[in-house]
Amino acid sequence: MAAVVPDYELAELYTRAFRVGALGLGWRRLLGPPDLSLAVEGEKEEEEDAAVAAALGCVPGTAAELRAVCSIDMLMSSGVEEDPDVIPEDSSLLTLRIRRKALERREETIIVDRACRQETLTYEMESHATGKRPDDPTDLIEEGELLLTLNIFYPVIFQKHKDHKPYQTVLVLGSQKLTELRDSISCVSDLQIGGEFSCQPDQAPEHISKDLYKSAFFYFEGIFYNDKRYPECRDMSRTIIEWSESHDRGYENLQSVKMEDYVFNDLSLKIGFPYLYCHQGNCEHIIVITDIRLIHHDDCLDRNLYPLLVKKHWLCTRKCFVCKMYTARWVTNRDSLAPEDPCFFCDVCFRMLHYDAEGNKLGEFLAYPYVDPGIFN
Amino acid sequence: MSAVPGLKEDCEELLGAFQQADTVRFERFAELWRERRFHTIFYGRIRALERNKITKKTLDVAQQYFFPPYSFQIRVGALYLLYGLYNAQLCQPKQKIRIALKHWPEIQKFQLDLLDAQHYDAVYIFRRLRLARAFHFTAMPKLLTYRTKKKIEKNYFKEEFKDPSNRVNSLITNDVLEELMNIHDHYQKMKCVISADKSQPDKALSLIKDDFVVNLKDITLEHQEWQQNRMKLLRNAKVAPETEDKKKEETLLKSEGSERANALARIKYKSYSAVVEVSRSRRHRQVQLESSESGPSCGKSPGRSKKASRTPQPARRGSSEQAAEEAVTRHIGMPIIVEEDSDE
Repeated sequence: MAAVVPDYELAELYTRAFRVGALGLGWRRLLGPPDLSLAVEGEKEEEEDAAVAAALGCVPGTAAELRAVCSIDMLMSSGVEEDPDVIPEDSSLLTLRIRRKALERREETIIVDRACRQETLTYEMESHATGKRPDDPTDLIEEGELLLTLNIFYPVIFQKHKDHKPYQTVLVLGSQKLTELRDSISCVSDLQIGGEFSCQPDQAPEHISKDLYKSAFFYFEGIFYNDKRYPECRDMSRTIIEWSESHDRGYENLQSVKMEDYVFNDLSLKIGFPYLYCHQGNCEHIIVITDIRLIHHDDCLDRNLYPLLVKKHWLCTRKCFVCKMYTARWVTNRDSLAPEDPCFFCDVCFRMLHYDAEGNKLGEFLAYPYVDPGIFN
Repeated sequence: MSAVPGLKEDCEELLGAFQQADTVRFERFAELWRERRFHTIFYGRIRALERNKITKKTLDVAQQYFFPPYSFQIRVGALYLLYGLYNAQLCQPKQKIRIALKHWPEIQKFQLDLLDAQHYDAVYIFRRLRLARAFHFTAMPKLLTYRTKKKIEKNYFKEEFKDPSNRVNSLITNDVLEELMNIHDHYQKMKCVISADKSQPDKALSLIKDDFVVNLKDITLEHQEWQQNRMKLLRNAKVAPETEDKKKEETLLKSEGSERANALARIKYKSYSAVVEVSRSRRHRQVQLESSESGPSCGKSPGRSKKASRTPQPARRGSSEQAAEEAVTRHIGMPIIVEEDSDE
């Protein structure tokens, strides 16, 4: 595999396709062991002047001078203890003047200024795994490993999401298999339970859609990666490939391969370009790879934690129409007892309204188990 | 990603001051940095999530100045700026500086240039950043999220920071001039060969200006000088935005402009105020001078005034031409034809 240098295909939007592993090669041959090292941050040991002199081709005296002149203390506040929360009064920086005005405005208008739970959640997700190291050294990520950042969009289509489709951000390693990513994607459609259960509410089957419909595929750069690990899995991309081959539709040869045979380093990808993940036959997620870079010692270094979810969208759960407290677990259609169609109920209210003490069905209705998209909050 | 308000201005101001200082020494940069107390740029009651975002954006803005097409001095300044910002940030663990694979060769070349020029402080600082593992080695400089709807901000390059793009010089290079010279000589020789007099070409064959290659060279040199002067002027104009200096720069620019306008006005006045004494036979068509109200023509387009200065023979021209001109340039003391002119 030859090394490659990614560049824009459409400026500022997405790159040309390239082999992911080749990027790793490209970087690793340019950098030295100190750049790639994942060792814990050492104390600020000053380099020996001799080492500096050798590297720069100057005399050790110059090296000592450099150490003094270029020390970071030259840029920091001179000894005086400063509170980073306080913006100095007489600042010449425009950034600070604007920031101070904004802060003053906030002080006037906001009664309590602290992080709401969404902000806390977002921050925690972003940073909870930072710097984590595994107990078992075999789980430690290798130096030079690639880290990909993927945005996986929700399939949920609400009107309010017209302009900014919600997404979750996942970090994967270059050496991880596609199947690991597929298993980690949590989608509400996987938990659906099909069937109408108004006559037998207690017998909602244990099988959720995830167990029944195991097929799934990824589509990257003209190749469909189908999940073939289980005998029930079918090649769902077959339909699309046959369609494209039936007439000259202008698509290059579309191929179909097995998902479990590939790791991310093998893939040819464009950064910033939308791809597809399809499961349950018709539940489609757009995937955009936003970034690929070398692993760093400050990242999470426990291989078992990957694919790592670092950001997800907070969806408000739909509450029961009756108590307005619990998340809806049932949805009814054509319900003579309900004020609207469809109508959502929590388990308790559903049974109380629709069934008598003996468990007989009251009134006419169709009832389906409901899984709210906000279940992953 | 929306920008951090005021950040670009502050960075450009600091880099501009560094450029003015006309040095690449870190000591000087550190002085300028301390003057502005730049390390406080991350201050303010910012919560952790917001602070991470702001720090990332700050490093991203500073990083842009580190690469071409910015001039050498600005790039060194950007390196120092990155060093300062990386160490002044309040995030824990520190936000890193992103470097794309396609930029690495430029950085290596930059390092070599610095070493050759013995700018050890810049090399040392880059080395320190690298040893501190302050970089993320990425595929592309920015995160690409396929935001087609969002207006993609066009990268705005500050003119003064760029190396002046010398398109004229890149088109008319020394090689081109040499080649032209050779062709010209060859052409002259050919003409001589086929002429009657072997030492010089026939008059009938003189179809081009003989010295045009020399003229071309002069013109390109002139352009280059003009461009350098303009850069210097722009730079001077942007120095110290304090009020008294502002006045100075205004007068500097104004004086430049008005000097030229005054000179042009003087020339025009001289040429048009001198009325030619026409010959006896044309005495009935003697022009009379009538001055107009307004003063020097500061607002006139330079093209027209140049024409006037470059053709210093309006007195030679017939009165009909002057009448035609009069309609265009009213505010100069143009001679006004008393009678209507007829075809001459």
